[in-house]
Amino acid sequence: MATSLTQGPAGRVELSDRRARRLAMPLRHVDLSLVVATLTISGLGLLMLYSATRDRLERAGIDPFYFVKRQGLAVAAGLVVMVLVMVVDYRKLRDFWPVVYGALLVPLVIVISPVGSQVRGTQAWIQLPGGFQFQPSELFKFGMVVGLAGYLHRHRGELDARRVIGALALAGAPIALVMKQPDLGTAMTLGAIFLAVLTVAGVRVRHLVVLGLMAFTGVVLVVQMGMLETYQVDRFTAFLNQGSDTRDVTYNLDQAKTAIGNGGLTGRGLFHGPQTNGAFVPENHTDFIFTAVGEQLGFAGSATLLTLFAVVVWRTWIAARDAPDLFGVLACTGVVAMFAVQVFENIGMTMGIMPVTGIPLPLVSYGGTSVVATFALVGLVVNIQMRRYT
Amino acid sequence: MNTGVRVRISIVGVVVFALFAALFARLWFLQVASRGSYAEVAQANRVRIVPIAPPRGRILDVRGRPLAENRVARAITVDRRLKGARRRAVVNRLAVLLGTPVATIEKRLDDKRVSPYAPVPVATDVPIEVLTYVSEHQEDFPGVRAVPLAVRSYPNGRVAANVVGYVGEIGPDELSERKDEGYALGDTIGRSGAEQAFEEYLHGRPGAERLEVDARGEVVGHLSTVAPRPGQDVQLTIDLDVQRLAEQSLSQGIAAARDAVDDDDDRHFKAPAGAVVVIDPTDGSVRALASNPGFDPNGFVGGIPTDKWRWLNDRDNHYPLIDRATAGLYAPGSTFKLVTAIAGLQSGLITPYTTIDDEGVYRFDRDDPRWSRTNAGGARYGPISLSRALTVSSDVFFYNIGGDLWRWHRRGDPNGDALQAVARDYGFGATTGIGLPGEAEGRIPDAAWKVAFNADNPDPRSKAENSVWYPGDNISLAVGQGDVLVTPLQLARAYAAFAAGGQLRPARLLDRILDPSGEVARTFAPGKPRPVPVPERDTILTGLQGVVSDPKGTAAGAFAGFPLDRVPLAGKTGTAEVQGKQDTSLFVAFGPVGAPRYVVLSVVEEAGFGAQTSAPIVRRVIEGIEKMELSEIAVSAPTAAGN
Repeated sequence: MATSLTQGPAGRVELSDRRARRLAMPLRHVDLSLVVATLTISGLGLLMLYSATRDRLERAGIDPFYFVKRQGLAVAAGLVVMVLVMVVDYRKLRDFWPVVYGALLVPLVIVISPVGSQVRGTQAWIQLPGGFQFQPSELFKFGMVVGLAGYLHRHRGELDARRVIGALALAGAPIALVMKQPDLGTAMTLGAIFLAVLTVAGVRVRHLVVLGLMAFTGVVLVVQMGMLETYQVDRFTAFLNQGSDTRDVTYNLDQAKTAIGNGGLTGRGLFHGPQTNGAFVPENHTDFIFTAVGEQLGFAGSATLLTLFAVVVWRTWIAARDAPDLFGVLACTGVVAMFAVQVFENIGMTMGIMPVTGIPLPLVSYGGTSVVATFALVGLVVNIQMRRYT
Repeated sequence: MNTGVRVRISIVGVVVFALFAALFARLWFLQVASRGSYAEVAQANRVRIVPIAPPRGRILDVRGRPLAENRVARAITVDRRLKGARRRAVVNRLAVLLGTPVATIEKRLDDKRVSPYAPVPVATDVPIEVLTYVSEHQEDFPGVRAVPLAVRSYPNGRVAANVVGYVGEIGPDELSERKDEGYALGDTIGRSGAEQAFEEYLHGRPGAERLEVDARGEVVGHLSTVAPRPGQDVQLTIDLDVQRLAEQSLSQGIAAARDAVDDDDDRHFKAPAGAVVVIDPTDGSVRALASNPGFDPNGFVGGIPTDKWRWLNDRDNHYPLIDRATAGLYAPGSTFKLVTAIAGLQSGLITPYTTIDDEGVYRFDRDDPRWSRTNAGGARYGPISLSRALTVSSDVFFYNIGGDLWRWHRRGDPNGDALQAVARDYGFGATTGIGLPGEAEGRIPDAAWKVAFNADNPDPRSKAENSVWYPGDNISLAVGQGDVLVTPLQLARAYAAFAAGGQLRPARLLDRILDPSGEVARTFAPGKPRPVPVPERDTILTGLQGVVSDPKGTAAGAFAGFPLDRVPLAGKTGTAEVQGKQDTSLFVAFGPVGAPRYVVLSVVEEAGFGAQTSAPIVRRVIEGIEKMELSEIAVSAPTAAGN
């Protein structure tokens, strides 16, 4: 560091009060690479959203910027939320975690009441005035991270059974609510956050095994009791039987793989994705938007996007490592888990290495709540990172 | 921060690193390592090929007049992509406008044979007012277009229908066989006649329009168009004027025969069917092939109604679709005596000076009356030689040849089969090379045939009896009776070979192939002639000339008043007996005798003596060819006992 230091009486290097305060000023420690990577992904996401939907919208006689405008609005809102989250010292969030957790849990209850609205069999949206909706489960990712980190940050050493059960209750209730919608993808993300946070917090191996068995039993029960929709089971089976002749079920997957494969090294060029623009790939602006990246920008483009995500995850992991308290460590770990699971599951399913589940690619897939929630979480990480000296 | 937490964070880091590494690896595999295969799939996914049918080539007569062509019909097409309520509304309006039931239009629209990317024709030959209405009210008829559509058309109707044939829609079996030749569902293919025989030239190669589509099949772009290669024109040796003349003469002759009364049973001749063949002996070209009853091939365009098809294949209507000129099988009767004469001379059995005393009866064996035969009508001609025997058509003279040859056959003398050998030399018992589908081979019976024919006889005694080549078999064959069967074209071709001085040529129907531009793409030269024996040509010719010119000639009456001095003719009558039916009337003639340019043959079933019905038909055709005034055909009771 190039800061000038003054020699103290005892020969120790001391910082003057004013200087020390200035050096520790949070804004000086904002992780620019994290912020820049996040913004770049959002920008690229908007571009791909436009490229993937333009032809289709034009043909339907709708404004070709329809999705881009709405998503742009979400990005702007996300930036505002990120700044708001950054401004408040995260230690306040830490101390008032039950408020944050509770406030975000309420809409999750409301959405499965008749107030929520259904889209394709999933009751995940609450209508807002002005033609907007929001998705409480996406927003709750923030509540989950803050809640778990807040609950666990006081303990020392390995977690005792009481704490594990408490954490399980905190995570289990919202996961159950999300499953009720049913939104398998978000439930998976929440579960991954829980698992990662618990691991870093120091769960005992035998507790982990018990949790694992419980999760397994839970999955079996869910499948056996027919809580899943047929299409969800089919998608899983399709994943296990790739290349089989059941065209209907493996259709999504085949088309997605074909699109990405069609991109090759350098891609077909923006707006030139016959697979994605021709709408062979369904949901090409939401869950399957990575196919558009793969087809139009090729290996060069998709590897770049993947690298940007890696940068975000790496910087968040660094923030976790350097965090001044356990809350910071656990919160950042939760964000790492959120990014890693969503990116891996989303991109993995389009390439046929993961089963197809509805899960957005953070900041790229069309969906306002997801964008805002992601920005909020990035804001939380920046918040923790920049206040590591105060 | 304690070390425990640090270690555990590192574990999370390692796991996350592994996940990202897996994504990168998979991305590399899909996009770089196995790129080609996915690109192909993507290509097939988005490109739809709409075949463009090539216009079918025309069929022309020898002077370039169309026998089959393509007419431009005004058609109404509907865009297949019209769906739901809009489609219902449009179909309802069209149904009212065209006066067609809604169901009919719906059925055509759902026709799987038309590519979903091609507009479907729902009506052809639409009145101009309807077209005008549709184009002036486009807002009420979205997706509806008025287009010119090429429709097969036979401008001469029934004329030459048996030669030209007709077209139909390709069937599923044929389609799978011919897919590589560029056929698609709904394509037109030749079903008979020249349309079928020369399909390879007429069809052309289809073009293709390559469209880019999206997942719902909506067309999003146009990639390329390969224009179809139109079919080539096929020019036949048929002369439309001669063809028309032959057909008119044949139907006149048939009509006249139906008016006349058969001496044998005092009933009107049935004359249900007949054929006329005109060929050029100098190169084997077929100038006319008439077959009666006939049909109008225009009725087959766009599919023939079932009742009409059934009518055409009904026995009571005498199967109009059969071309009797090439597929009709007849006993040749006395017209076969040309072969017998040559066989007798060729084998050395007779000479031009051999005289036989014709007392009206022939007895092969005085003790075995089974093989005895009499002249038709009980006529007696006294001592006659070959040429006279031909002129007056003495059966006894030729019975002698048949009987004597049988004796040689019995002795094992190879000349004993001269009758069969000469018949085969002259092209009987085999196809003529005309290449029309359904051509019959006919039959020249001999000892081996008889054994084979009775091989399946379950009764051993009857089998043994019927497998023997009896004297009577050879004696009947000598006058064109018994088991011998010939097609009119074979008979005409045999006389053409004789007229040309012993040159048997393949029957030639295909003259040349023309490109759509009119350039000659290929010329089919006359087939290589095969030399056939013509011993004592002058003697035989004198006999055949006598048939029309000698007062005692069997066809002298029919040719009374014909300027034989200017156009000398040679001919032969034939009256074939058919079990349970009236006699078949045959006549064949060629001329001018010095340098023959035409052979004309007529066969009419159940129409009496050769001289009665067929000779006047042949005379009229020759008058037409020679640009004389055409005589009216009247079938009268025969003056001479001409058979």
